[in-house]
Amino acid sequence: MNELMAARSLTTRPVVTLGGDAVAQVKDTVFDAEAGRITGFTLSGRGLLSGPLRQSLPWSAVHALGHDAVVIRDRRELADTAAVVARREAAQGRVLGARVLTDAGADVGTVLDVVVEGGDSGRVVGFRVAASKDLAPGSRRRRRQVYVPRGETLAVSGRALVMPADAVRHVVGGLAELAALTGGGPGRRSGPESGEGPLS
Amino acid sequence: MAWWTWLVVAVAVLVAAVLLALAVQARRRSGTVVAVRHGRRSGGKGVR
Repeated sequence: MNELMAARSLTTRPVVTLGGDAVAQVKDTVFDAEAGRITGFTLSGRGLLSGPLRQSLPWSAVHALGHDAVVIRDRRELADTAAVVARREAAQGRVLGARVLTDAGADVGTVLDVVVEGGDSGRVVGFRVAASKDLAPGSRRRRRQVYVPRGETLAVSGRALVMPADAVRHVVGGLAELAALTGGGPGRRSGPESGEGPLS
Repeated sequence: MAWWTWLVVAVAVLVAAVLLALAVQARRRSGTVVAVRHGRRSGGKGVR
């Protein structure tokens, strides 16, 4: 059972070789919306003044996605950034902030984060969503966050995430419930009822 | 103007420049999550 983690928390996570060299840090997490798997990461340099790197990290080069570092076999397996994501795709495919809609056109909320499985699977298991007023009535401040299993979604793009109308019943309130649904383990710092923890 | 006025102006400009540089740098390094439709790409112009 691999640990679940928030894709946003992967940004700035160091990329370390099996030989112990820290070669970069994660900038963007890129995933295949249809296959539901991470396809790679864009990278930035380790120093304070260093910016984005020309090289990126394809998932095939990843040995393990861990809580504190992304471990790769060899730095020679880093590839050109275009091998992971083209500039146009990156601009159009930004998932955070995308609206979540049902196929009946009802607003479910907006995407706050993408939940991925650590280890060597790179599986995208769900989405953390700020629930809309219809789904969770109340003031915006008190409105709760919910988790949508990826298996319930029909389409994912930078503009919207579409799910079947009846799948709203499968929305869960916490990471532990999502882990139980998808077969992953909740994040290390999250409590049993956590909707926050490493995903906040 | 007194000499110390220029000193204050110079320090303020310097601090503003440093803060701007740090903000630009933080933005360059900030990450996001990107969904692609067909997995790995073999061509195109990469993200910088």
